[in-house]
Amino acid sequence: MTATASPPAREVATEAPCVHCGLPVGPRPAWSGAGEACCCTGCAVVRDALAEAGLDGTYDRLRAVAPSARPAGRPQAPEALALAELDRPGFVEAARPLPGGLREVDLYVDGVHCAACVWLVERLPYEVEGVHAARLDLARARLTVAFDPAARLSEAARWLARFGYAVRPSRPEAGTASDAERRLLVRAGVAWALAGNVMLVAFALYSGLESGGLATAARWFSLALAVPAVGYGAAPFFRRAWASLRLAWRARDLRRLHLDTPISLGVAVGFGQSAWATATGRGDVWFDSITVLIAALLTARWLQLRSRRLATEASDRLLAIVPRIARRVTRDDQTEVVEVDALRLGDLVEVPAGEVLPVDGVVETGASRVDRAALTGEARPEPVAEGGLVEAGTTNLSAPLRVRVRAVGEATRVGRLLAWVEKGEVRRAPVVLWADRVGGHFVLGVLVLAALTAALWAWLDPAQLPAHLTALLVITCPCALGMATPLALAVAQGRAARAGIFVKSDEAVQRLTEVDTVVLDKTGTLTEGRMELAAWTGDEAALDLAATLDALATHPVADALVRARGVGPGRVTDVEAVAGHGIRGRVGGVAVLVGRPGWVKVEAAPLPAEWLDALAGWADAGHTPVAVAVDGRPAAAFAVGDRIRAEAAGLVGRLRAEGVQVHLLSGDHPTTVTSVARTLGIERARGGVAPEAKREAVAALQAEGRAVLMVGDGVNDAAALRQADVGAAVGGGTTAALVAADLFLTRRGLAPLRDSLDGADAAMGTVRRLLALSLGYNVVGAAAAAAGLVTPLVAAAAMPVSSLAVVGLALLQPSFASGPSGAAAPHDS
Amino acid sequence: MNVLYVLVPLALGLALVGVAAFRWAVRDGQFDDVDTPALRVLLEDVPTGRRDPSAPPSPPCS
Repeated sequence: MTATASPPAREVATEAPCVHCGLPVGPRPAWSGAGEACCCTGCAVVRDALAEAGLDGTYDRLRAVAPSARPAGRPQAPEALALAELDRPGFVEAARPLPGGLREVDLYVDGVHCAACVWLVERLPYEVEGVHAARLDLARARLTVAFDPAARLSEAARWLARFGYAVRPSRPEAGTASDAERRLLVRAGVAWALAGNVMLVAFALYSGLESGGLATAARWFSLALAVPAVGYGAAPFFRRAWASLRLAWRARDLRRLHLDTPISLGVAVGFGQSAWATATGRGDVWFDSITVLIAALLTARWLQLRSRRLATEASDRLLAIVPRIARRVTRDDQTEVVEVDALRLGDLVEVPAGEVLPVDGVVETGASRVDRAALTGEARPEPVAEGGLVEAGTTNLSAPLRVRVRAVGEATRVGRLLAWVEKGEVRRAPVVLWADRVGGHFVLGVLVLAALTAALWAWLDPAQLPAHLTALLVITCPCALGMATPLALAVAQGRAARAGIFVKSDEAVQRLTEVDTVVLDKTGTLTEGRMELAAWTGDEAALDLAATLDALATHPVADALVRARGVGPGRVTDVEAVAGHGIRGRVGGVAVLVGRPGWVKVEAAPLPAEWLDALAGWADAGHTPVAVAVDGRPAAAFAVGDRIRAEAAGLVGRLRAEGVQVHLLSGDHPTTVTSVARTLGIERARGGVAPEAKREAVAALQAEGRAVLMVGDGVNDAAALRQADVGAAVGGGTTAALVAADLFLTRRGLAPLRDSLDGADAAMGTVRRLLALSLGYNVVGAAAAAAGLVTPLVAAAAMPVSSLAVVGLALLQPSFASGPSGAAAPHDS
Repeated sequence: MNVLYVLVPLALGLALVGVAAFRWAVRDGQFDDVDTPALRVLLEDVPTGRRDPSAPPSPPCS
């Protein structure tokens, strides 16, 4: 565990793959002992451990199994307030008690993304006293920890933070959904076990066991097994069919019947006829068809439920951006840690630098800069002073603040946005509506066919009427039809999740294929969402000197320069930071001045005339220009700003080529927005848009009859994301809370957005093919049954063949097939 | 064919055992996460960390 020291001056391209897991290393790589660049400390540590043990061959195997390409975590300072929450007695009491006096709790871990992370995180019990077990669920980024209530869980969080994993307690209500999922899985398992045994006996019956004691025993045996399969396994179908029957009766509308109705009808009639045949000893039994049908349908339902839960949880874990506890200032000027709910209006809370504000309020004392990116989309930190308004969910960057509470919890601006998003009505999916319509028509069609068949056979041969009628109802039972849509969409969503694309609902997949207008947010969506070195001019050596000096500053502009250039070898002395202007000092004995161009002009000498155009251009583009003077002479100038993502132009170009209207809506300064729009060739751009106005803009587009895809990354986009036909949230794992989005992209950049558009097209194509196939099967089956060609043996063969064909096609569908292209070919645009 | 009177209940019994085991596995949460355990087999069983809270320190495997 000695490989974490990172000599920062080493150079590596941000796109270079991590030697351990192959993800891009990003702008701030971690270094292995042998000096290779890794995406995170976890990878560096594992790389060294493997090298020491001579197990380098592991990489061939690891490459095949690392499934997802999440953005990498960086070593980061643990958030003090989050740590305090972990040690709060209330939090420990709320944890699940385990035998032996231990407690168990679920934590969200940001930044876990590959096998190395599992290895590192699960070492927790061996490294931190009081932690007895740690189990990481990689797909859900959820860590289950068993700990001794006497121990401090914050120690564990601190240990994880050393490796770049940020820990946040999960909300208590999250994760309860898996109960229904588990019950459904048990139901499906039982149904398959029953179906398997019924089939076993059915083989004997089909191979010629027609009469005698053994045949009777076999039939009674099948009946005994079919009773629980129908009574327990098919119960959900009967319940829903009954509900839809009542609804249809009340509305006097056959179209209210959904697909569960014909399924239940087929199962009930097939079972009833078979039971009667068993009891009387005359006629055919259909038990095998019925039980297999029930088991297959239950499995499809379970897959659907599961894929939806994974997607919902991925966004749920980001809800926790606003801290749930705060530091209240007491009368004797001390601070106490209290829950946010216990705060009253007018209380004073203290917010140290680097923490997220827990409340809306007015700054009482202190002056600092706050990062409002999560709320307004403004990338540049804004200064706040006494009397200034600050909002919950924003981050206090540079100095401690004392804030007079104006609003808490749901009443805060971020709280109102999220509440609107959460209680928004559940819109019905077009697929569901279509299935409903089909269900109604299906029932009608089957009933008409049944009447025709009955009439036909009453005239031809009344003795065969019940057998053929049952055959018709069993064979037209829409097993494949009922499975096709959910299964195809569940498989597509599962594959998408592996590629870092989480789709919350089936309807989102369908709506994605119908989008004709795309509304893009700027900060964090089209741009990287943080300060980077955008351009520079002048002497390169001066730039390096400036970076060496800036390493001692704590300004985002300075951070950007240091990230881009690294820290040089010179010794830095005589540092003086001039607030609002810049920083001066000596690097290796040379006087260096870095700051606003105006200030450098006054302190050193006027800037060369050829720079002035460049400086003005940078300012127009919304960047922050900075000048560097060495030995009293201006030596270089550079601009720091929020860089446009490399793949943005390609995406916009492609959308326009497909005839999709592209809009840019941003809360950022209009000049910056216009400049970005010009660069990317977007004609419709608006800046300075408030979160609420974004929603109205999307609603206005919808009123024009357009299907809108909104792409955003922050809480400020939440309302618009919810309003849009499809809301897609982009960004890294820790960015902002987005329950609103239908689509949630955990990979950095815009490439996943392109992948999801392609994937949705492919998935809906598969759905259409499957529906055609299963409807075709039912039509052919119905015709054959009416003609009296369907025997139990034919049904027993046709039913699994059709179901297997549907399952096979659903599994082999080409959607999202590229997998995590970010891992295979980073920045391939 | 009378052997079927024994074999079929036997098959049923086996199926019951299977269902019971499956039910236990589901309730135990073994199907909640089907991805991470696949990665876990690549990790070493005996950690080389400084201390193991439940067992005496094992000698490093060779």
